[in-house]
Amino acid sequence: MTLKIYWKGIQTMNKQIVKIENLNVKIGRKKILDNVHIQFQKGESVVIAGRNGAGKSTFLRCLAKVILPDQGSIVYSAEVTPEKIGFISDRISLFENFTLKQGIDFHTSVFHLEDFDYTLINQLKLDLNQKIKGLSVGERTLYHLSLLLSQKPEILLIDEIIHTIDPYLREQFLEAIIDLMDRCQTTVIMINHTFSEIEKIPERVLVMEEGQFVLDEKMETLGEKIKRIELKEDLSEEIPCIFKRESSFHKEYFIYPFKEELKKAFPYEFKDLSLNEIIKAFVGGQYAKKRNQ
Amino acid sequence: MFRFNIDFSSPVPIYQQVIQAVKFEILSGRLNHGDQLPPIRELAKILKLNPNTVAKAYYNLEEEGFTQSKRGSGNWVNFKKAKLDRLRKGMIEDDLRGFLDRALSLGASFDDIKNLLERYSNNE
Repeated sequence: MTLKIYWKGIQTMNKQIVKIENLNVKIGRKKILDNVHIQFQKGESVVIAGRNGAGKSTFLRCLAKVILPDQGSIVYSAEVTPEKIGFISDRISLFENFTLKQGIDFHTSVFHLEDFDYTLINQLKLDLNQKIKGLSVGERTLYHLSLLLSQKPEILLIDEIIHTIDPYLREQFLEAIIDLMDRCQTTVIMINHTFSEIEKIPERVLVMEEGQFVLDEKMETLGEKIKRIELKEDLSEEIPCIFKRESSFHKEYFIYPFKEELKKAFPYEFKDLSLNEIIKAFVGGQYAKKRNQ
Repeated sequence: MFRFNIDFSSPVPIYQQVIQAVKFEILSGRLNHGDQLPPIRELAKILKLNPNTVAKAYYNLEEEGFTQSKRGSGNWVNFKKAKLDRLRKGMIEDDLRGFLDRALSLGASFDDIKNLLERYSNNE
């Protein structure tokens, strides 16, 4: 790939792929998604984090058109026809009684695909004549992924599955996704709780809380906006702190939004955080807020 | 095929780390004038990075005059000798600054460090 294509990639990235407005989902009387407004660009890779029960999965399922919202709109750009939306979750049921081969044949005929890429399946050494229900959770995920990859999706939605697969398959999984991102400029939106493996893939980080996005930042700038201070005494109230951890001999404060002026005004040492710690601080902050209510 | 070490916990942006790593490969002679860099997709897969990150690093390397992209055939190492000397000096200076910060915070004086350097240069 030449850099010219890279610049073409950058240009297409400013093209919107989906626009979500006023999205509301209720289950019973409980609001799961509360007036969500957000847009995603072509080729973007996004990670969504948040507390359990914050509404992340429901949001992704709306995008995948698995559930219909009570209110609001999800408008995809014209090239995103239904077969260009890929959705992987450990809750999806495949045709369990089919053999792998039957599943692939069915998939390719329904979506009118000309060929099927067996690379992943071959890497796993899967027997094509076994039934889908005989696959392990991780194998199922990779099998499902290879079905989706053959559709060359414009958008790939991944609901918390990395932890279900073993380290070797994780690598295969990530490589397949990186390959797809580069080849097809696919938009990837994933929900995750652990970040050590995928840390360097997302370009944009979202945190969801009570059905709304409370954080929407570019990866590149997020690190500059959140810092950590370790202290023995209490933190000045002029510093915006989203989360603190205390033990008997030291206190830890997570600062957001951080500004350079703070460095001049206070003698503290402002430390950088990894993505994992950043997310933990935000999620922990949400729990703390909840307790105080 | 070389394998870079990317420090995920470092605050240095990843594309900068890739740039540094390629420069280091060039300085240490493992990459020579006229060698091909790994294709963006391959390097992204090896390092588990976003392909855009690698592309950004390659673009910057080209801007800085260390590589050249040829249409359809990838990125090639391409530099002038003088540039290399300047780069070597810069990198050593950066490392030295880090070392001095640490040594001084451990309580060493400049004289201690000078003595140490002399001992090393006398092959002790």
